[in-house]
Amino acid sequence: MVFNSLTFIVFFACVLGLHSLPLPWTTKKINLLIASYLFYAAWNPPFVILLWVSTVVDWYAAQGLVKARRQSARHAWMLLSVIANLGMLGYFKYGQFLLDNFTALMGTLGVAYHPAHYDIVLPVGISFYTFATMSYTLDVYLRRAAPAQNLLDYALFVTFFPHLVAGPIMRPTELVPQFAQPRRATGEQLRFGLALMTLGLFNKIVLADSFLSRVAERVYDSDKVPGALDAWAATLAFSGQIFCDFAGYSTTAIGAALCLGFAMPDNFRFPYAAVGFSDFWRRWHITLSSWLRDYLYIPLGGNRHGARRTYIALMGTMLLGGLWHGANWTFVAWGGLHGLYLAVERVLRARFSNYRPSPAVFVLLGLLTYTLVNVTWVFFRAKTFSKAWIVLRGMAGQNSGARPILATFSLLSVVAIVGALVLTHWLMRARTLESVVARAPAAAVCAVWALMAFAIIICQGTGSAFIYFQF
Amino acid sequence: MPGGDAQRATGDGQPHDRYARQTAADRPGVAQPVPVRPVPQQPWGRIALGVVVLLVLLVGGWEWYWRDYGVKPSISNTFGLWAIQRRRIDAGEGDATVLIGASRMYFDLQLPVWERLDGRRPIQLSFEGTSPLKAVEDLADDPRFTGRLLIAVEPDLFFSGYEYHAGAVRYARKESPSQRVGQWLSMYLIEPYFAFDDGDFALQTVLARQPWPERPGKVWFMNVRKLAEYEPDRNTHLWSKVETDAGYREMARSIWRQDFQPSDDDPPPEEARKTEKEQIERMAGAVAKLRARAVKVLFVRMPSSGEYLAFENRDFPRARTWDALLAATAAPGIHFEDYPELQGYYLPEWSHMTRAEAERFTAALYRLIARDFWGSSAAASAVAAERGSR
Repeated sequence: MVFNSLTFIVFFACVLGLHSLPLPWTTKKINLLIASYLFYAAWNPPFVILLWVSTVVDWYAAQGLVKARRQSARHAWMLLSVIANLGMLGYFKYGQFLLDNFTALMGTLGVAYHPAHYDIVLPVGISFYTFATMSYTLDVYLRRAAPAQNLLDYALFVTFFPHLVAGPIMRPTELVPQFAQPRRATGEQLRFGLALMTLGLFNKIVLADSFLSRVAERVYDSDKVPGALDAWAATLAFSGQIFCDFAGYSTTAIGAALCLGFAMPDNFRFPYAAVGFSDFWRRWHITLSSWLRDYLYIPLGGNRHGARRTYIALMGTMLLGGLWHGANWTFVAWGGLHGLYLAVERVLRARFSNYRPSPAVFVLLGLLTYTLVNVTWVFFRAKTFSKAWIVLRGMAGQNSGARPILATFSLLSVVAIVGALVLTHWLMRARTLESVVARAPAAAVCAVWALMAFAIIICQGTGSAFIYFQF
Repeated sequence: MPGGDAQRATGDGQPHDRYARQTAADRPGVAQPVPVRPVPQQPWGRIALGVVVLLVLLVGGWEWYWRDYGVKPSISNTFGLWAIQRRRIDAGEGDATVLIGASRMYFDLQLPVWERLDGRRPIQLSFEGTSPLKAVEDLADDPRFTGRLLIAVEPDLFFSGYEYHAGAVRYARKESPSQRVGQWLSMYLIEPYFAFDDGDFALQTVLARQPWPERPGKVWFMNVRKLAEYEPDRNTHLWSKVETDAGYREMARSIWRQDFQPSDDDPPPEEARKTEKEQIERMAGAVAKLRARAVKVLFVRMPSSGEYLAFENRDFPRARTWDALLAATAAPGIHFEDYPELQGYYLPEWSHMTRAEAERFTAALYRLIARDFWGSSAAASAVAAERGSR
């Protein structure tokens, strides 16, 4: 079920009620585990089996890793986990993509290959929980973590519903220890958790779904050729939409976990105030970028084997990171552009290592970063390369004769929301939400919270899925 | 100030954020520790109480505003509501009478009247602003449906294939358990009690229709406003405000007028003709499948009036559309202009009848169908039902 639904409100109220009952801690954990399976089954009950497969394989792989005497046996257990998880991901997420590309390749070689239709439904959140479970066996393999003490704690780590389908992608060392001792939210944690959930749902329902998504759709999902204003407005709208959608999910998830007494890590740190792309990736989808760094970039050599190998590792990581987002070459192009940006930044940092920008230049560099990030969003949002080129040509003012697509209200809503969003990120770039809330008058906190909740109600969200569920 | 020590000056003069914390981005290549999730110092109990009070006041005010505008609570016209009716066919009512069309079939056919005459309540699968083709094709492919099918022809939608509510069939096939529960909760716990819970009064919709300055070169197009009130089994009628409020009625007419003028978005005439033919051919294919398993199919051209009728006659002339449809499908049809008993109804905005008129029209249409199209058993049941109701 999605957070922005009546079903979730009822579900969450039941979970909170159960969790507050004076039951033994093991019983409470079993309750949470069952609730998490229900949460996932509410989409498509049979796919719970995939969760079980992922859980059981990695549990036994980690047990095998600990007991193995020889390095080759440890390798084998680790490979079993990786192959099982990536195999599942490959079958469900990339099967059609691979088949399409194979067919196209055969076509270029003059072989008419007509495979049967690959009618597979993508299990929601599979990219997230396979990465979470893989981090468990990989951490045990890399001797960074001890295996979980019991299957219940481990299964709950994999399945815990706040992070299950769209992250933050949690590591076992972040969550499993929290299941060791009884946890119940204090009154303050519960209320702040609810406030965080309101903030997250405000981002999703009000900003992303009610205002920004429609602007992006009118340009990206239409046959019309956009001029510069429409192309930029739609792309900026998407930049706001995807942040509000995904950061909204993460904030709601963090709030939900806090209401139950659990802590989840930050996934976003005001990314549109990033200066440079290494800074951007320290602020955007932090749990994915750090996962890719720790389990892909560093094993590929990282920056320890010379410049050439570093750039290869960097680009390989970003290309695969792009593909992680979706089975389409446009996502690979998105990752590739980010890889290119990171590589260029690395060259420039080495070349101008003593350069310290003035405050004005610093802000200009930040705006340049945001502009270039927007260029990458074109490939992320467009369903095809041809559409991406049309929008990019529009952004460059090259679509002569283009007629206006967006009405005044759409343009104004983009300017107001995205402008406020970017400004907020700059004002908050070195702060935390908690510090700002702590310094605000209580009446202001109360008014803002109530207004966000009111806006959520009167926007009448339709329960649309979060963008990242498809990944 | 609560939490006033959130930022304290450090020795170097820089403010220190006591809530500052590292993320996984700051800890490469190591096991990530249990996260820190501090709660800012605030009187959270009083804040939460204030939020509840403020929220009740704000929502109450919003509700009062829309009730004062003339809105009453009504069930939301969602895909989930459509899916509930569609599932009746899978759950043993495959022999039922099914109504499929756009808004005229939806608003002008009154299920209680039909039920009183026929003895059975039909299944309403119409969707406003939407060609019925996909819903008919869906039934054609479902062997469980063996009943009778009344398909409304509303020319500008039927022959253009336009779908304002595209995706109902797909939604019904893929509806998740969560969506089903959400639909149930909404239609029993929210929608019967809150008048503002209607897409036409959502914040973004209200803001978008304000008189913003027009962008040069962009023709402003006003979306269709609230026209109907819905019930849990999708029995629907025209909203009384359209009948009683002259200003609202004129606005509804002016919205239709936008469609009567040529637009840059209109397809070229040859493409429009091609679409018409495709719609007719696909409908003929679906009807052939239905009739092959003895489903009785009947088309009905629902009444329209005034400028709307003139527009339909101009852009979708009967000979090219209605007559071609009946010829291609070899199915019977009722054109309202051919039957005096289907004429003379009051359609405030030229397209839909008032509730009272819709009840009168439903009875007239039912009797006509029972008498001339669906045989003596239907007619007999109608007579029996009428006797029973006296």
